[in-house]
Amino acid sequence: MMVRYKMHNSFGFKSLAAMLLLLILSSSTSYRASAETTMHTNNWAVLVCTSRFWFNYRHMANTLSLYRTVKRLGIPDERIILMLADDMACNARNKYPAQVFNNENHKLNLYGDNVEVDYRGYEVTVENFLRVLTGRHEAAVPRSKRLLSDEGSHILLYMTGHGGDEFLKFQDSEELQSHDLADAVKQMKEKHRFKELLIMVDTCQAATLFSQLHSLGVLAIGSSMKGENSYSHHLDSDVGVSVVDRFTFYTLAFFEKLNMYDNASLSSLFTSYNPTLLMSTAYYRTDLYQRKLEEVPVTNFFGSVMETIHTDSAYRTTFSKTSETIMPLQQSVEHDESRQLINSNVQDQTSDTKIEQQEEHRKKIREQMMMRYKEEKEAKKEAFRKYLDSSGVLDALTKVLVALYEQNDKPSSALEFVQQKLGAPSVSEYEKLQAEMSDLQLKYNELLAAHQENCKELEELKNPQKTASTEENNDAEAPKDEP
Amino acid sequence: MSEISPEVPDNRQDAPSHVDPNSTRITKPGVKRLVLTLSVLFSLVLGFPFLWKSVEIYRSSLPFGEISEMESNPSLSFPCRFQAVFINFNSNPSPNHLQLSILDKITELTSNSSQCGACANDLALSVTVDSISSCTQTHPTDNSNYYRCGAISAVDFDFSNDDDDGVDELLESVLGVKNVYSVVVVNGGGEGIRAVVGKYRHAWIVGSVEEEEEESVLVSRVAEIFVKMFVNGGTENGLIHGEFMPVGADRRIVLSFNLLNAEPNDWVYDWDFQRVDETLLAPIIKVLGPIANISVESQVLYHTPKSSFSYWDEKWKSYIFSTKDLPFFVNSNEWHLDTSIAAGGRSKILQFVVYILLLPSPFIHFLYVPSAKECPLSLLLPTGEISKTNGFISPMWGGVVVWNPPGCLNSETNHPSRHTMSREDLQAVFEVFMGQFRQLFGLKSNNLYIGASGTYHLLPSGKGFTEWELDVLSRQFACFNLHSCATTLGSLSRLVQSLPRMIIMDEIGKLVQFSLEAAKLAQSNASLGDNESSAVSSGQARSLAEDAFFHPSIMSISYYSFEHCFAIYSPFFLPVSMHVLLAALREWKRYKQEKAKYTAWKAKVKVES
Repeated sequence: MMVRYKMHNSFGFKSLAAMLLLLILSSSTSYRASAETTMHTNNWAVLVCTSRFWFNYRHMANTLSLYRTVKRLGIPDERIILMLADDMACNARNKYPAQVFNNENHKLNLYGDNVEVDYRGYEVTVENFLRVLTGRHEAAVPRSKRLLSDEGSHILLYMTGHGGDEFLKFQDSEELQSHDLADAVKQMKEKHRFKELLIMVDTCQAATLFSQLHSLGVLAIGSSMKGENSYSHHLDSDVGVSVVDRFTFYTLAFFEKLNMYDNASLSSLFTSYNPTLLMSTAYYRTDLYQRKLEEVPVTNFFGSVMETIHTDSAYRTTFSKTSETIMPLQQSVEHDESRQLINSNVQDQTSDTKIEQQEEHRKKIREQMMMRYKEEKEAKKEAFRKYLDSSGVLDALTKVLVALYEQNDKPSSALEFVQQKLGAPSVSEYEKLQAEMSDLQLKYNELLAAHQENCKELEELKNPQKTASTEENNDAEAPKDEP
Repeated sequence: MSEISPEVPDNRQDAPSHVDPNSTRITKPGVKRLVLTLSVLFSLVLGFPFLWKSVEIYRSSLPFGEISEMESNPSLSFPCRFQAVFINFNSNPSPNHLQLSILDKITELTSNSSQCGACANDLALSVTVDSISSCTQTHPTDNSNYYRCGAISAVDFDFSNDDDDGVDELLESVLGVKNVYSVVVVNGGGEGIRAVVGKYRHAWIVGSVEEEEEESVLVSRVAEIFVKMFVNGGTENGLIHGEFMPVGADRRIVLSFNLLNAEPNDWVYDWDFQRVDETLLAPIIKVLGPIANISVESQVLYHTPKSSFSYWDEKWKSYIFSTKDLPFFVNSNEWHLDTSIAAGGRSKILQFVVYILLLPSPFIHFLYVPSAKECPLSLLLPTGEISKTNGFISPMWGGVVVWNPPGCLNSETNHPSRHTMSREDLQAVFEVFMGQFRQLFGLKSNNLYIGASGTYHLLPSGKGFTEWELDVLSRQFACFNLHSCATTLGSLSRLVQSLPRMIIMDEIGKLVQFSLEAAKLAQSNASLGDNESSAVSSGQARSLAEDAFFHPSIMSISYYSFEHCFAIYSPFFLPVSMHVLLAALREWKRYKQEKAKYTAWKAKVKVES
């Protein structure tokens, strides 16, 4: 009773508890640590427009533009959760019914075919948003409305709307606080619902929304710092309202240049924001993110590049056996009989067997032998391949061939090129070396002759001394042994 | 002030006229009003605990102790029973000696990998040397299930014969005991040593052994079969990591088979999937029962261009796409694969969704038929060879096989033709599917294993998975499930403890309780050596734990700040309590003031008298 009372009233206790919790989390089991090294297998995107009403047209256009971009870069519809708080396309004030534009040139209709809105209108609430993130849905919620990510997922969370210091307004009636967001992210992390999460927010004072985050693997970028507003980009006089926000506009400008094969890094995206054009300072928080931004391609979050593994071999087996399962009774009877035959006696069998059967059997054996021979050959091949691989031959050869391939004007003698690349000298060098060697050989011969002469002289000089010295040695050692 | 004023005239009546009412008082001040206001205040204060109790949040008590105990040690210990039978050894090596050397080798092989699911601490080995003249056997503690002397020699089978399936069946009839893995070493036969691992739980090695050196080779081979095959399943890294764990939290897998016709203007292919399902898939689904609950659906799609490019290669006489392009092969915007879920019966699918709560992704297997424009389409490997299977997998997602229709090079028809895939083609494609399915489970499919001490032939099973592979899978899944269950429950308990204002329904408490019970059952089953039921109950434990963690009621209030609490309760209590408190304070002040006046007067009277 007392403890709860305290917990409830004192703020300090709560923060202390949070710190303790963090400590506990950081000292987690080794199994979890191994789970953190899992590879990135899939991409998800949660795109949220939080504001209603016609004059917030641009927020919906922002979200739909992002939706189009991530779809173009390869995230499939079933892995995008799109939340739109209002329906601008069918708004009575929309001069272009069933169309939404993010530019006054009206070149691109964002609301074309294949837009799958998962949460629309009044369904876009803080509660539903948090349910999507944490995965705590009512049983009846269909699969398409769930974020079914796993520990190999990279998630892009894009939000736009009206916000303020540590909150984002939903539907003009409720707010998502930075604490709520941090809490949801923490729970996602606890349950391994993401590997990496990129939170991108286009709202006033967006940076304040990230202040409570403390889960590893989270990268956050907001359109403005605390105390700054995020502005719309331009007004479309035909539609009558602003159609896109500045931050999103320049984000899209960056992505329009890319396709799914591109390798542009996140840092190039983050540095592309110009504060004078944005009229606010884009803020990104990287202290929770382990990888270097220069090395992370934007397609890791905004696209979907599938992790694939080649299938080495089929499972070859006699599946014909399984087709017999249609008549399991007969089969089992036959089976038992054959086993009895084997068990009772083999000698009886031989007298009864027909030549045909034997012939067939022999054929079968031959086939099997052939198979086995092939398999062994394969194994040898495999072993050799492995040997080549481990000794680095494959690697070196591949490198050389790649270099040859990349050569713009192909060398006249490809063999020479390969030799050179592998470290062998060229012909001219070879000749030079040859000449040098013969020179050196000559020199060596001369020196050897001189050396031998010297040696001889030395020998002659030494010989009388040597005999004397050995005697001396013997004399010196002898008295030591005596006592 | 109005209450004080009536007293003043009374004083004036009794007191002498020279007394100043502002500084002196000649009667005792009344305590009536003070008592009244204080009693109201006290009743408010006394009522506060009752109020607190009444707004208390209902929290079902969770077994935090048990959860943390489970989280700290979520391990399963499977017993491993091995037996090695040496037949026709004339030199009669001592079984005790062999047992020791094999055990040494086993510990040497297992020492570098201490993973869950491998039997590190409960291991028993029995060695029998069975020759025509004599039979000696070492007995571990429980000797009921092991090999009976002379059983194999009684059958008098020729092992040097190449009929592997026959040998396999024979050994199964002789040794067929559950949970005991056996290796039969037969002396004799041709030159060299040949090792075969069968479909059941045994392997055999045939070779002529005469000298001491050869014996040590045999010993190391026997140990390698035990450790690398029967314990680790022939894979390099034993434990299935999260990304290779293709079973949903509710132990369900949906196999969705899709036949994609890239360009139906060229040709349209159909398949007789019903037959495949009945004859080929049914036994596989049955044997995988303890691990996962598998359902199958299929569809044929048209107009499904791929999103990567291919080029014509004269050398291979086919269009080539390389492994670099594989990540872009699947065109998720044009291949509407999830439609299969909507098409396959709504009610069932809803249920699927319910249970699938956390299923990361159903397996989707595709068969891709390229258009005439780029047929045949072949996959070029980095080694410069054409892929034999023409297929690839993506972990957690499924696999793709590119199938080139027969005679696609010379077909010059202008109108689309309808075909059905022939039985042989379907069989061939199914074999690749099977290889991919096994690959997704982390198993290899080539019938040859190259170990440290030689190669081993693996007999494929008609059911897609051999029995020892199923054992390995069961053990690994049981381990994975138990780990996952423990971490989920641990997360839940931390969450619950960090949010003291959160309602915890009885249902969550029950789910946690059941989950813990199932986990304990899994552990006890594991120690009894029952892999399958351990996998089943650990799967239940995991799905119950997930249900508890993802219970929708937990969302009700997650972040509850002090300001929030203050904002809720202050409108009720601030107006009333402020008045009561202020009244009590003022009464107390007035009483003290009046009493001071009275005592001052009394003292003065005393002095005067």
